[in-house]
Amino acid sequence: MSLKPRIVDFDATWRDIQGTIRGVITLDNIPRKIWNDRFSDIYSLCVAHPESLADRLYAETKQFLIDHVARLLNKVQDDGEVHLVRNYYFYWSQYSKGAGFLHSLYLYPNQQHIKVQKMSDAEMIYGSSDSNGGEQMEIGELALEVWRAGMIAPLGSRLVKLLLEAIDQDRAQHTTNIPIEAVKGTILSFVDVQGYKKKGQLQLYQELFEQPFLNASGEHYKRDAAGLLEERNVSLYMEKVIAKIDEELLRARKFLHQSSLQKVTQRCETHMVAEHLSFLYSECMNMVQGERKKDLSNMYNLLKSVPNALSVLVDTVLDHIKTQGLSAIGNLQGENIHISFVENLLTVYKKYRQQIQEVFNGDQNFMGALDKACSSVINHRPNMGKSPCRSPELLAKYCDTLLKKSSKGISEAEIEEKLSQSITIFKYIDDKDVFQKFYSRMLAKRLIHQLTQSMDAEEAMINRLKQACGYEFTSKLHRMFTDMSVSSDLNNKFNIFLKKDNVELGINFGIYVLQAGAWPLGQAVVTPFALPQQLEKSVQKFEAFYHEHFNGRKLTWLHHLCLAELRLGYLKRPYVVTVQTFQMAILLLFETVDSLTCNEIRETLQLNVDQFQRHAVSLVDSKILLAESEELTPETILRLNMDYSNKRTRFRITAAIQKESPQEVEHTMNSVEEDRKLYLQAAIVRIMKSRKVLKHNALIQEVCAQSKVSFAPSIPMIKKCIEALIDKQYLERTPHSSEEYSYVA
Amino acid sequence: MKVIIKNWTGVATWKWIANDDNCGICRMPFDGCCPDCKLPGDDCPLVWGECSHCFHMHCIMKWLQSQQVNQQCPMCRQEWKFNNK
Repeated sequence: MSLKPRIVDFDATWRDIQGTIRGVITLDNIPRKIWNDRFSDIYSLCVAHPESLADRLYAETKQFLIDHVARLLNKVQDDGEVHLVRNYYFYWSQYSKGAGFLHSLYLYPNQQHIKVQKMSDAEMIYGSSDSNGGEQMEIGELALEVWRAGMIAPLGSRLVKLLLEAIDQDRAQHTTNIPIEAVKGTILSFVDVQGYKKKGQLQLYQELFEQPFLNASGEHYKRDAAGLLEERNVSLYMEKVIAKIDEELLRARKFLHQSSLQKVTQRCETHMVAEHLSFLYSECMNMVQGERKKDLSNMYNLLKSVPNALSVLVDTVLDHIKTQGLSAIGNLQGENIHISFVENLLTVYKKYRQQIQEVFNGDQNFMGALDKACSSVINHRPNMGKSPCRSPELLAKYCDTLLKKSSKGISEAEIEEKLSQSITIFKYIDDKDVFQKFYSRMLAKRLIHQLTQSMDAEEAMINRLKQACGYEFTSKLHRMFTDMSVSSDLNNKFNIFLKKDNVELGINFGIYVLQAGAWPLGQAVVTPFALPQQLEKSVQKFEAFYHEHFNGRKLTWLHHLCLAELRLGYLKRPYVVTVQTFQMAILLLFETVDSLTCNEIRETLQLNVDQFQRHAVSLVDSKILLAESEELTPETILRLNMDYSNKRTRFRITAAIQKESPQEVEHTMNSVEEDRKLYLQAAIVRIMKSRKVLKHNALIQEVCAQSKVSFAPSIPMIKKCIEALIDKQYLERTPHSSEEYSYVA
Repeated sequence: MKVIIKNWTGVATWKWIANDDNCGICRMPFDGCCPDCKLPGDDCPLVWGECSHCFHMHCIMKWLQSQQVNQQCPMCRQEWKFNNK
């Protein structure tokens, strides 16, 4: 046949076509030849001469479909309400499949004739003139639209009622009575019938079915919840509700379009959880305090998707952790308060961290609560906030204990582990500068008195602190390490220098030369002291050596920090004792005599009363010297204990003096206070220099933000610093407002 | 000998001794460092000129580089020479 347009008899051709499409739409067997003939018939109608008959074909086809659907409508209703759904589904399956084939048969007009009229995608998306009824649709779409108008419109509400009944029966476990496939197919037909649309595919489904379904289900959930509530048992209720939600979700999967799943869960939660929050909360406190993991986990799962519902649970957990934490560190007593403090806190922290992971799935809200609780426990000030917080000091001591040589019976790996855990606590401390002060003092002592367990551990710890707080925070600590290594170089050079000059010092000499500003040694408590002559040569030689190497530097000896190792040769067994310089000087005086008065010793050594007392007492306490009275007065006679004996031949008698005295703690606190003032003033000047003019509150806020890394400043302190800066004429109040400051260049 | 000293470990601190408290160029104290350095100490040393004036080494080097003709001490305008006594 030719593709050329020619004159066609519409009525005759349409009769043929009509016969075939009736077959197509009812899924009858159509031989290939007939299909091909009809295909070309449709083509020839569309391109007919002298004018195209496509519009007429379209109108006739539409009318045919309308009539067909009307017939089907009757058939569907034939068997009454009981079989309505089943019949509907049967004819829908047939019709929708047939419509697909029909669409292919009309391929030519679909593509050439109708596409032209259709809106482009762009018009669709940006919504130009809304589709006006006169427009033609592709045949497949037309068929679906005819079905919607001719079948769903008259039958819809009856179908939905039946469907809802079916689902209710499914809920009641009478599954055998309902044709699951038909129900699901019918429900999905509401979606498929609009599937060709680019927008609002689900509109019909949502309006016709989903909404009534959700409302009905909602009522059902409400009744269910009311029934469960009568038991007055929260944990049972929660279990039932969770089971119910799962069940409903399963049902929704079985029957509904997937877009509804979320909505079903939400409905369920609204009616069974959100509406009964106060009932759930009533058990909250008991569950948290009893740490009933299963209940808590159920509670979390129920509450997490209800907006804002978790906050009560979160707050309760927070309070609970806080109480537990405070009771873990309250009433600590004894020597090792710092160890129990840190370890108890860590136990609490770990326990609840794990619980949150387990029970609350590591939810951020609860992690936040844990953080808040820990930081309020760790920064808790006893006595209604009047006493200072001791955590920084205790934590520093804890680290000190671990890093000191004396910690026996723990492996290096364990120490590492414990140190890295102490960082956890460190991160919560507000007053990090206080910790730094204590830590650096203890570090200085460890380094100078050669008490460090391992340099690697020390450095690792400092790196951890650096990671947590930044370079500024640890720079001073690093400088101490630098000085240690510089000093060991210096010792080597000094020994070479001695060898070259052939000098014997008579003792093993070592030295630490420290940079004055870098070490927290207390403002140079240089006490007068007459150096024992045995040391004079060494000291002089070293000073000569040092001044030769370094120009313009002044050395100050810190005798109270020097250590000596002595061999005691006057006893039955030889002992090797480590003592401080002052103790050594006292012992050396007994070379020629066996007893001396306190006054004599003090005069010879030119020690001040306080220093003498401390060191003499330490010698008496360790029984190396014997005193004739408890109290050491200037006239008290001290004599060498010739019968001294000790199980160990090598020991120290420095411990008593190295202890942190209460004055030292206070001193540390005061120096922290001073540092803070300087820090705050510097921060204020920096801020004002860049801002020029700033309101009081804004300034305070910025200062707080800047200093947060190392401590939490008090507002009165900031105010005082601002006042001080106004007095020093760095700042002034602006003339028109007392609440505003300006920077004075 | 009743008591013999086997070892002695001395501890001493060092400080710059300069004839002024502050560097004449950057006005920062000699105990601290020049404005370009972060930490005082061996990394930011002091130097003396033959005129006996003292500066942070970094400060005087910068000053000398900025002088095209004569290298003079910024304090006394005498010719600058390092004092390597």
